[in-house]
Amino acid sequence: MFDTRITKLLNIKYPIIQGGMAWVATAELASAVSEAGGLGVIGCGAAPADIIKKEIQKAKEMTDKPFGVNVMLMSPFVDDIMEMLYEEKVSVVTTGAGNPGKYIEKLKNIGTKVIPVVPSVALAKRMEKVGADALIVEGTEAGGHIGELTTFTIVPQVVDEVDIPVIAAGGIADGRGYVAAVSLGAEGVQIGTRFVCSEECIAHIEYKNKIVNARDRDAIVTGRITGHPVRIIKNKFSKKLINLEKDISNKGEIDRLTIGSYKKAAIDGEIDQGSVMAGQSSGLIKDIKNCKNIIDDIIKESNKVQSYLCNI
Amino acid sequence: MVLEKLKNIIAEQLDVEKEDIKLESSFQNDLGADSLDVVELIMAIEEDFEIEIPDEDAEKISIVKDAVDYINNNK
Repeated sequence: MFDTRITKLLNIKYPIIQGGMAWVATAELASAVSEAGGLGVIGCGAAPADIIKKEIQKAKEMTDKPFGVNVMLMSPFVDDIMEMLYEEKVSVVTTGAGNPGKYIEKLKNIGTKVIPVVPSVALAKRMEKVGADALIVEGTEAGGHIGELTTFTIVPQVVDEVDIPVIAAGGIADGRGYVAAVSLGAEGVQIGTRFVCSEECIAHIEYKNKIVNARDRDAIVTGRITGHPVRIIKNKFSKKLINLEKDISNKGEIDRLTIGSYKKAAIDGEIDQGSVMAGQSSGLIKDIKNCKNIIDDIIKESNKVQSYLCNI
Repeated sequence: MVLEKLKNIIAEQLDVEKEDIKLESSFQNDLGADSLDVVELIMAIEEDFEIEIPDEDAEKISIVKDAVDYINNNK
């Protein structure tokens, strides 16, 4: 159940990919996840190339295992980052927020595996055609910027349409989620929010606590009106935002309120006035533990679920 | 001819009326497509016109005229 095309492709022990979240997916988190047998991923967000280069070099010192870099394609620095990645030759590049087609060939030529995050069947097929090694199919349960479809429905639809391996993302935080994803045809999972609540993640402790304390209905969606839906944990900031969103003429004010709001929460710990991006799995997360324990517990629970399934 | 056929594809893909599709219409700003709709539209054009539109070129197709020109130059 853990020996899939993804573990072979990426040369890792468990097909558990850590989400490449902006600001908090640094060398510390990525190396800890890779050391624990998964694939750690450094998140570029909208950071400039030299900052990410330093994180890559730091991670290379912290682990000998493969790790990846997530490139947010709407970043103003995307071309610089790709140039830097052609030099640094990391094992894996995952991409979000767009179509990485034009970068794939060059990355593959230097031996980097390319795994785009896709929210639809059409983009999945297109990415396969231009040479993606695998796909991360992300459902709307995820945190931060999200698509419309649920993991439960989009993963099997993509699995039916492509031959390359699929990694399921969105809403997965434990062994039950892992086995469910495998049942849908996925050969691996990507997990974000659960890894934010790890000891190694540099996110502010108040941010982690906000996720740990979140209940089932607390991870809500803002930004539908502006066309960029974002899942965050309910707080004073989200209430203000939702009120402003009732009237599209407030767009200017919405932009002013949201700019820098994620860093405010994740790094500065301003969890009342910042944007606490997190997925629906927040309600499933009850503690902060180290990455090794997170992964070991997922594996243990998956095995338990599997033997249960074999006996019913 | 190309335009007529293209209009049919656009009308079907984006659920818009054919008479609302003008050469200057922007897929995203005028015809209500989001970026994922555009990917689907490009793939439908590829299939129906039996051409290949690489991503570098697809990126530059934002209005109906861009698509017409591309098809005419590449079929």
